[in-house]
Amino acid sequence: MSQLELRFSPSTEQDAGAFRLIELPPELCQLIDAAVETKPSRPILSIKGHPTEDAVVCTADKTYTLRSVVLSNTVLVVTPSRTDPDGTVHVRDQLHEVLEVVPSVPRLHKLAVLLRGMEYDEGDEDRRASLPRYSYEQAREEIQASEAQLNVGLRERRILVLDGYLRPIAPAHLNTILELFLNYLVSLSLSHDAAPVDDLVSALADDHDVPREVSSQVMSWFGQVGEGTWKMDVKAVVAEIGLGILRHHKHEPILETEFMTKWKNAVGDAFESAVSLQLLSGNYLRNPSDISGATLSYLAASTLPTDPAACFAELFLTRPRWKSDEIEPFLSDVAVNSKERDRLLLKYARAMTTPEGTWYTARVGYSN
Amino acid sequence: MIVSISVTPPNAFSPKLPPSVAKLGHDELFLIELQGTLDVQGCESTGKDGQLIGTLNTADMNKPMLVIGHHLLEGKVVTLPKPLGVLHKQVRNTLDDSGEKEKVWWDVTAVVKKKIVFSKRPMPITKPASTASRR
Repeated sequence: MSQLELRFSPSTEQDAGAFRLIELPPELCQLIDAAVETKPSRPILSIKGHPTEDAVVCTADKTYTLRSVVLSNTVLVVTPSRTDPDGTVHVRDQLHEVLEVVPSVPRLHKLAVLLRGMEYDEGDEDRRASLPRYSYEQAREEIQASEAQLNVGLRERRILVLDGYLRPIAPAHLNTILELFLNYLVSLSLSHDAAPVDDLVSALADDHDVPREVSSQVMSWFGQVGEGTWKMDVKAVVAEIGLGILRHHKHEPILETEFMTKWKNAVGDAFESAVSLQLLSGNYLRNPSDISGATLSYLAASTLPTDPAACFAELFLTRPRWKSDEIEPFLSDVAVNSKERDRLLLKYARAMTTPEGTWYTARVGYSN
Repeated sequence: MIVSISVTPPNAFSPKLPPSVAKLGHDELFLIELQGTLDVQGCESTGKDGQLIGTLNTADMNKPMLVIGHHLLEGKVVTLPKPLGVLHKQVRNTLDDSGEKEKVWWDVTAVVKKKIVFSKRPMPITKPASTASRR
């Protein structure tokens, strides 16, 4: 039959507003095709957000911002009639907008605020009962990030998961644990490429009252754990120890030479060779000074605002002009890739090319 | 707040579209784009259930035609710049210890790659041509 009767739905009230159109980039098309084959038990996409936030849609490992595009035309969703599929079709819904998805950075900054007052530190058993609590499950549902990105975020932000609750570890305590690891690697003559997990975890539990689940999670943040051994990420451990020292110098800079000495001492002879300022990229400011020598101060990319305009404002308040290789590490939380980062630099900064390289200054008078 | 979107596998027993429109990307759903909206004159909310809107002629898919009332619209099949997922809201009422709860999620019913667009001005039909066959 080449003539089809176009009719309203047999249940217009039920169907109106029950349909949405969403534009699918290639990777989401593939995800849906694969899901049709494998029939997963869990939903393949989740829309997350507080009613006051802009919604995001997440796959297992990616986050996208959800946007609504209003159409000037009307789009009819049409399906065949049950009773006469060859000759009659029904208009189930009339749509005037399409949803668009745009890749986005995961929005994890809320974690810092949500977990305030829930830090894990020495002597936790005494305090635990009176502390407020926020669970991993709550985070999975409320934080606007895919589960995979959430887990990476917890690792990077040094947040323990104890009894299903999220507990950020106190930085000083983390450094104590790392320094203990380095000391025991030497004193027990263990290879840092394949250290028996049990030896280290037991030593810390027996001699220093560090619970096994805490030291094992810390180990997993700084290397790979598999088949009972730990392959330590030397650079990451050395960097964290350096950060522990640098954090005291947010407002009062420290001489570079003095800092490097302190850092090497904390790390010990065995790992001294791994010490390098480059490991702290995105966490320090270097002020070359001709009198007594260069100084360093602490500035962490992770503490800057996530809104690009506010981030640039704070960066230029800290320092009126920046070299491109100095400013780039501080934009990693704001731009999802280097193309986006360059776009933001174009929008919020003025570039000046000199024989020494490209310098960025604030664009005067930019407004939202 | 979290809203789930899942995919249900195709059901062999649901009604299928005739081949001419199934070719647009999915055998159970297709899209028609119109300028303006379908205006229905005064009736109660369920008054228009199942009512005839018009006739779609798919004999030549290079020139699909839609007759609505005394208007003839000529359209064409357009490939979408990006495929569109069609989401259908699913509601289930569950009864558990804490009382009756409504669970809402969305299902990706279809992914369509083409649509029929009617963007030319409607042509008035002076002599009513033979309308859709009665069934």
